[in-house]
Amino acid sequence: MAEAAELSNDWIVLDQKLKTFNRLMTTKAAIGQTPKELIWTLNKAKLYRYIPVVPAEERYPIPLILVFALMNRPTIMDLRPGHSFVEYMVGRGYDIYLLDWGVPGPEDEKLKFDDYTLDYMPRAIRKMKSVSGAKEFSMLGWCIGAILTTIYAALRSDDGLRNLVLLTAPLDFSDRKKLTFARWTDEKYFDVDKVLAAFGNMPGEMIDYGAKALKPIENYIANYCKLWDSLDDPRVVEAWHSMNTWVTDIFPMAGGAYRQLIVDLYRNNRLMKGELKIRGEAVDLKQVRANLLNVIAEGDHITPPCQSEAILPKVSSTDTEIYRVSGGHIGIMAGSGAHKRTWPHIDSWLAARSH
Amino acid sequence: MAAEKNGTAADPFEAFRKMRDTYLEGMSKVMIDAVNTEEYAQATGALLNNYLTLSAPFREALDKAMIMALEQFSLPSRQQVTAFAERFTNLEMRLDDLDAKLDRIVELSSAARTPHTGVSHEGKRVPAADQKLRQPTSRKQ
Repeated sequence: MAEAAELSNDWIVLDQKLKTFNRLMTTKAAIGQTPKELIWTLNKAKLYRYIPVVPAEERYPIPLILVFALMNRPTIMDLRPGHSFVEYMVGRGYDIYLLDWGVPGPEDEKLKFDDYTLDYMPRAIRKMKSVSGAKEFSMLGWCIGAILTTIYAALRSDDGLRNLVLLTAPLDFSDRKKLTFARWTDEKYFDVDKVLAAFGNMPGEMIDYGAKALKPIENYIANYCKLWDSLDDPRVVEAWHSMNTWVTDIFPMAGGAYRQLIVDLYRNNRLMKGELKIRGEAVDLKQVRANLLNVIAEGDHITPPCQSEAILPKVSSTDTEIYRVSGGHIGIMAGSGAHKRTWPHIDSWLAARSH
Repeated sequence: MAAEKNGTAADPFEAFRKMRDTYLEGMSKVMIDAVNTEEYAQATGALLNNYLTLSAPFREALDKAMIMALEQFSLPSRQQVTAFAERFTNLEMRLDDLDAKLDRIVELSSAARTPHTGVSHEGKRVPAADQKLRQPTSRKQ
């Protein structure tokens, strides 16, 4: 009798787990919930200002603008209430702005780094300065956003950029043995022009496959096994749900920018060699003079640490720091330990330089 | 037994889970090494190349048929819509330039008349950002 009751109980537990699993697979979590206000738009790009929660007198006078990659939503910076970098920084007294690149359509297939760094960023930053009333600002770039912010910092070094924070920045492509992407996109095997001629923009599905295929067992099998084992833990379940909502929200990358990423950076390492030209203007990293915090994820398989380390000797900044964090490309900012390590470090580094 | 003494039931699947995790860990290392080879890069490159080559005639035919169909219905083609979008973005940039000039004018005129910070209705000093966010033109998201 007791065994029958136990068996029945097991079935109820299994049924509950299946229902939870189904919910996680078929629904979207509410992410990017910190209150914000739209202050500027251009084409698909939007600039948001997060509503401050700290009284104006106690806030830092230097605003911070966040720039994320071109092929994923920037909501990863504001993942879920209680676990959001944006929410944390707003609570610490920063005036936070987010530059959302939006989803490129077929009409945007010619957009290049040139457009993003010389049309979009200067205009968004001008608006931010106008709204905040500040002459100087801090900028945080993550992943390809770090490439864009570095280019901007080099090309517009007199624009008031005081502090530059780079997160998992893929800047140096010289150590090709450590770069799986470099191997896959080698001109011997990958015809980037043929792909872009067919699709216009680089399809999000292909970018997503590329990122996941670097660790296929983890991403396609182990991820779900671990979730199944933790389905009775609401904290793990909700964290997984919000992260999965972000990961599965994929969209294309503008064809022109993707071509530059592959040809100029992955294949020819032009930024580090000083050969990268943006609208005919050479990107000289020596022109970067802002205070620089370079955050490197030790376990990053998308941007291995060797890609981020080489920037410091190339820039003219006198106040520089490398901060190494254990974790992966996304985990260092959105993982369960981010609020104990990465966020407080960025906060303390910026706090000392935001008066 | 030890688990029962601690007040928790022994999990019969624990051994299975450990075995599974060990297997996945081993497989993961093998697969990471496999995708990091020239052979994998060559194979995926060839697969993509073949797909693009084989699908090209169908894509071209579809494009032509679509252009003809749109013409028949007096609808703009993709190229025309793209050109329109580019013009629209240019227009947005011109508006943004005007906005920048207006901001500059406001900044200069307010600098001539009042100090940088204003006074809120509560009588507290408020920076320019907060004053501007209270303007009716801003859009809530």
